Amino acid sequence: MSQQTTGTDDTGRGHLLVHDPTLRDGHHAVRHQLTAAQLRGYAEAADAAGVPVVEVGHGNGLGASSLQAGPARLSDEEMLSVVREALPHSRMGVFMLPGWGTMRDLRRAVAHGADVVRIGTHCTEADLAERHLGLLREAGVEAHGVLLMSHMASPAQLADQCARLVSYGAQGVGILDSSGHYLPADVTARIAAMRAAVDVPVMFHGHNNLGMAVANSVAAAEAGADILDACARGFGAGAGNTQLEVLVPVLARMGWRTGIDVYRLLDAADVAERELMPKPPTIDSVGIVSGLAGVFSGFKNRVLDISARQDVDPRDVFFELGRRQAVAGQEDLIVDVAVGLRERRAGRGGQTG
Amino acid sequence: MKPNGRLSVAVLGAGLIGIDLAAKVARSRALECRLVVARAADTPGLRQARASGLATATDGVGSLLAADEPFDVVFDATNAMAHVEHAGLLGPLGSTLIDLTPSQVGHMVVPTVNGAEAVGHRDINMVSCGGQASIPLLHAITRRHRVDHVEVVTTAASRSVGRGTRLNLDEYVETTQDAVRDLTGVKDVKAILNISPARPPATFRVATSMVGQDLTPESVRAAAEEAAGRVRAYAAGFEITACVAEGERAFVAVEVAACGDRIPRYGGNLDLINSAAVHVAELIADAHGSAPAVPTAGTETS
Repeated sequence: MSQQTTGTDDTGRGHLLVHDPTLRDGHHAVRHQLTAAQLRGYAEAADAAGVPVVEVGHGNGLGASSLQAGPARLSDEEMLSVVREALPHSRMGVFMLPGWGTMRDLRRAVAHGADVVRIGTHCTEADLAERHLGLLREAGVEAHGVLLMSHMASPAQLADQCARLVSYGAQGVGILDSSGHYLPADVTARIAAMRAAVDVPVMFHGHNNLGMAVANSVAAAEAGADILDACARGFGAGAGNTQLEVLVPVLARMGWRTGIDVYRLLDAADVAERELMPKPPTIDSVGIVSGLAGVFSGFKNRVLDISARQDVDPRDVFFELGRRQAVAGQEDLIVDVAVGLRERRAGRGGQTG
Repeated sequence: MKPNGRLSVAVLGAGLIGIDLAAKVARSRALECRLVVARAADTPGLRQARASGLATATDGVGSLLAADEPFDVVFDATNAMAHVEHAGLLGPLGSTLIDLTPSQVGHMVVPTVNGAEAVGHRDINMVSCGGQASIPLLHAITRRHRVDHVEVVTTAASRSVGRGTRLNLDEYVETTQDAVRDLTGVKDVKAILNISPARPPATFRVATSMVGQDLTPESVRAAAEEAAGRVRAYAAGFEITACVAEGERAFVAVEVAACGDRIPRYGGNLDLINSAAVHVAELIADAHGSAPAVPTAGTETS
C-alpha cells in the first residue's frame, strides 16, 4: 500500500468507506447477463484489493428481474452464493427497492450472507422503506436507506427524508445521482444539508453523464460524506458510474484513507474491463442527453431498442421522458413516448423533427 | 336493509381512500352512508366528512361494534394488518365486509371479471388499484390468446398514496400477483409498484406486458378496448394509452384519471378501487332487493 500511494499529499483528512456496486449497477450495462464466472472473477479481484463492500445483484436490486427492467441471467440466490464465496475479506452488499422486491427477498439475501443491505426509494418517498429497514435491524444486518432520483428534491427535502430513514432504523443514508445530472455545487449543498440532519454515515453515488462523477464524489467527501460509491471502469448504466480506480487515488492525493491497495485495485479494474464488459462506458450522445434531461441512465438500452423500432430519435425520447419526469422503474413509459413522437410526426405530414 | 331499500353502510378509515369512499357512498342510490370512523378525533379526513354532513366516530372498529344495529356493509379502508382483526370482530355481526386493503383475507373481486361472485361472500377483497386496472384487460386478452407470463407495473403519484398503502407495499405486490393468477389462469406473474415523486403529479398508470403466442395488435386491442369500455361504466377516466403486440409479446398501458369527488385528477388509483368497491356494494344491494335471504357463509363457492 505505502509503495503504491507514494507521491500523495497526505494531509490526514481521515477515512472514507468506498462501496463498490460494479456487480449490481454495472449489470444495467450488460442487460443483467453476467455469468457466475464473471461475478466470481471480479469479486475475487476486488476482495484482493481490499475493497470494503462489494455489492451484487440485478441492476434494480433484489427481486427486480423482470420484463420491465430486463430479466437477469442468474437468480438472486445464485448471484449471492457465488459472490459470497469469492469474498473472504470484503463485506457483501445488496440493494432493494420496495415495490420491486419484498421482505421475502430480504430474508433470503440475509440467509445468503448479505452483510450490508440498502433499501432504496425515490427521493421524497423514504417512508416506503420503514418496514423493510425494521426487518433488517431485527435480522441484525447493517441497514442503509438511500434516495434515488435525488436531483428531483431540494437539499432541505433530502435532509428531512434522511432523518426519517434514520428514525426507521437506517444506520447509513445517502443519495443517488440516478440521472448523472448533478454539478459539484448541487452535491455540496445536498450532502451538507444531509450531514447536518443526521448523525449516521452519509453516502453519495454518482453517474458520469456530464463527466462530473469523480468531481461530484470529491465535492461530496468535502461536504461531509463518509461513503462513496464507485464502479470499476465506471461500469454502469449509460455513461457509467464514478470510476473506482480513478476515485481512490484521487482521494489518496487529497489525504483521505480508504484502505484500498491501489495496484491491486488497478488490477481489479483491468479484470473488469477484460471480463465484464464489451467496452468500458463512454459518454455518448444519449448519455449526455439523459443527464441533461434528468432521466435515469438505466433507460438507455430500452430507449435505443424502442426508438429504433419506432424510427424516432432517441434524444427526443429522452427529453420527452424528462419533461414527463419519468423516474427509475418507469421503463414502461418509453413505449408510450416513442409511439407518441412517431404519431406526432406522422400527423405533421411525415416530416422528421 | 333499510325501509328506503338502501343498504346501511359504514366506512372504517378516514384517510385518502375512506373519505372519497364516503362521498361516493353518499351519492349512491342503493347505499346509505351512516357512519365514517377513524381512530383519532381531529384528522383532516374526519373533519371533511363532518363538514359534508356525515356522522362520524373516533373509536376505530370499536365504534362499529358499539352501534345499535349492525351495518349491512362495512368498507375497510385501513390497512392489511388491521383488516385481519376487523374481519374477526365484524364477521359474526352479519355485516358484509368490502376490504380495500391488500389483506388477502376475503374473496377477491374485480367487478367486470367476477362481480357476480360478490353476492354470496361476506368478506370481499378489492385486490389493489393495480389489480383493478390490469385484470379486466388481462382477463379479456387471456380469453382470446395463450399467455404464459404476465407483468403488471403500476405507477402512482406520491400524493395519492396514503399511509396504509405505504406500509403495505409487500402486500400490494403479493395480492396483485395472486389475483392476476387466480382471475386469468396465468401461472407466471410479476407485479411491480412505483411511487412517483413527479410534480405536477403523474396520472395513475398501469402497464401490462405479456409473453404468449400469436398476439396480434388487432386482436389484443379489440379485447383491451372492450374490457376498458366495461370498466368505464363505473370509472369514467379509464383510458388505454398504448397497445403494442407482435407475435410473442404484447404491451398494454392504461391511465386512469379521477373524476370528481374528493380526489385530484391524477389520483385515479383511489378513484378506481373506490368506484369498483361501491359498484360491488350496489351489486349486493340489487341482489338483496330481489332475494330477501342473505346467503350464509356455508353457501360460499371459494
